[in-house]
Amino acid sequence: MEWTLHVSQPGDVRADFLPSECARQSASSADSRIQKTMSVPFRLMDEVYGRIHASRIAFGTEFCENLIGDPHPLTAVLAEVRRQGLDFTFLTPYVSDRGIARLRPLFAVLLTHAERVGRPMEVVFNDWGVLRLLRREFPELEPVQGRLLNKSLRDPRITGLLPDSPSGLIQLSTTAALKQTNLDSSGYVQLLLEMGVGRVELDNLPQGLDLEAVPPELKIGVYVPFGFVATARACMAAGLGYEAAQKFVHGASCKQECQTHHLIYTYTNSPFPNRDQEFYLKGNTYFYGHTDKMLRNIDAHALEGRIDRFMFQPHLPMWN
Amino acid sequence: MKILAPIKSHDELEMLVESGAEELYCGITPEEWQQEYSGAAWLSRRSPKGGGFESWSELRKTVDDAHRAGLHVFITLNAPFYTTAQMDSVVKIAHRLDDEIGADALIIADPNLLLRMRQEKIRAALHVSSVAAALNSEAIRFLLDFGVKRVVLPRSVGLSEIEAIVNAVRGEVEIETFILNDGCAFEEGFCSTTHHHAVGAFCTGLSGMDTEFEGVAGQDLTYSQTVKLKRNLLDYWKYIWYLNGNGCSTAPNGLPYGPCGLCAIKDLMRIGVDSLKIVGRESGPFKKLASVKMVADIVRKARAGADRLYLIERARSLRNTQEHCDAGFMCYYRGESPVPEEEALLEQTA
Repeated sequence: MEWTLHVSQPGDVRADFLPSECARQSASSADSRIQKTMSVPFRLMDEVYGRIHASRIAFGTEFCENLIGDPHPLTAVLAEVRRQGLDFTFLTPYVSDRGIARLRPLFAVLLTHAERVGRPMEVVFNDWGVLRLLRREFPELEPVQGRLLNKSLRDPRITGLLPDSPSGLIQLSTTAALKQTNLDSSGYVQLLLEMGVGRVELDNLPQGLDLEAVPPELKIGVYVPFGFVATARACMAAGLGYEAAQKFVHGASCKQECQTHHLIYTYTNSPFPNRDQEFYLKGNTYFYGHTDKMLRNIDAHALEGRIDRFMFQPHLPMWN
Repeated sequence: MKILAPIKSHDELEMLVESGAEELYCGITPEEWQQEYSGAAWLSRRSPKGGGFESWSELRKTVDDAHRAGLHVFITLNAPFYTTAQMDSVVKIAHRLDDEIGADALIIADPNLLLRMRQEKIRAALHVSSVAAALNSEAIRFLLDFGVKRVVLPRSVGLSEIEAIVNAVRGEVEIETFILNDGCAFEEGFCSTTHHHAVGAFCTGLSGMDTEFEGVAGQDLTYSQTVKLKRNLLDYWKYIWYLNGNGCSTAPNGLPYGPCGLCAIKDLMRIGVDSLKIVGRESGPFKKLASVKMVADIVRKARAGADRLYLIERARSLRNTQEHCDAGFMCYYRGESPVPEEEALLEQTA
């Protein structure tokens, strides 16, 4: 099992860490409510995996093109990654044409670095346009399909309840379909392989993941311990910088107000018993935290060898 | 630039054509799909009940009569993805839509289904759904490799972005944009929630949940920061209320609320957009009728050469809900600055 640590700055780069310790040392407040809620899965990870030896560092953002930085922070992280002898993955979001233009110089930095250190550089794409850009202009970089392009339903209000639901809420065939991904199709996987995509990243679904039919030539990594629910180009946090009528415009510029706070929603209006279910809004994206049960589920896949990489994100993955 | 209207029964055809619809789109949930899947596994992003045609014979009759009236009909198969087991059923449905129904195009979101349609040599044109989230010119060029004829741009693509995209792909693919009705709080292609009746839409349910802001990086939020965040949150819920058709209500004159791009029609025409999409397959006939009439009114005047400012005023008078237009949250193409001299004129008019 390979581990990747998602970092926000050079000082976070490390090859050896305990999940709970890493989360405490991260940018989030140690006594925050999210940290308290997530202490159970973090402790479980500590117990099951002990001290983790990461071989790879991830940097970048999957959700917001306003958080795409200039080359300087990327260069600084790459220098530290090289010093510690680690592999590297660069995360990219869904983008407008403006975002494509912002990514181009960063890909050039990655390419130069890859040639200098003699190691391949992975780029996670969450937008078909980014894949096309990579294939056309930077074919030496290794494209990895990101989790936003896996379209499985992951609505923790309801899908986490389905596997245990005796209520007749949903048919068995539907429940089975909800656990599957778009990777079951050999034709689709063949298309990915032809485009040089040999690896995909997934979320750990609240309803469980069924990876049995995914062709084995495709390598799979899973993010822990946060999954994404929904993301938008109209950002609530960015609205802080605007007068009322100008708020929440798609793709509006911002001062990265999302970096100062997050919002915890508790599903108190649930028609089901899960009224303590929490969702987290950070910037333009909603997340759910993994439960103890979800982590055990994904660990079973790892033991079977179907998942060969965990991407550990010590706090809500929305940083520049 | 054509006016694309939703339809879900043969009864709606004549009134839509008479009111100005120039293209039609719809969905179907065949009985065989409903027997196999229910709950959250929808064939084309609408509940099986009331979201589209329920019988092949009525759909066939509607398409035949639409063709006689000179209108093309596009049919949705636009789930974000289909599992392998589902794909066999979807391919059969696509063949039937192509061979028996005479669909002019299939509206598809899943690249895997686009690939299959090409392999299956489906004759109907392929349109890419907004659910595919083609947000940039590179993504559209990626999709062109599947032989698509049209791409529906997501609601979140602004006027200047639409213009850049149309300029980049002009002559290679048709571009369709949203013009009226339903909004979406999230990027439609990147929303992994369900609108299942048991829980409703995620975005509209948020205002009923308990909330708590927290600072990060070990920083507690000050009282004034928290107040500012809470006020912003109230504005956000108001924004969601507008996206949801002003809480699913109608104006005093009976016209439907909901996101609107009427003021931008002249710009969209100038840019070279090929089709204006009116949302609402599941809506009742009155909402469809009123929507088509409003769009057709502005489009006809724009085609006749009416100037942009006149059309903006006309659009606002048609909506007849000045306070909601002024709120800004009802506009699809908000945040796009008018030309400076026009802005000054608008201020004078106000």
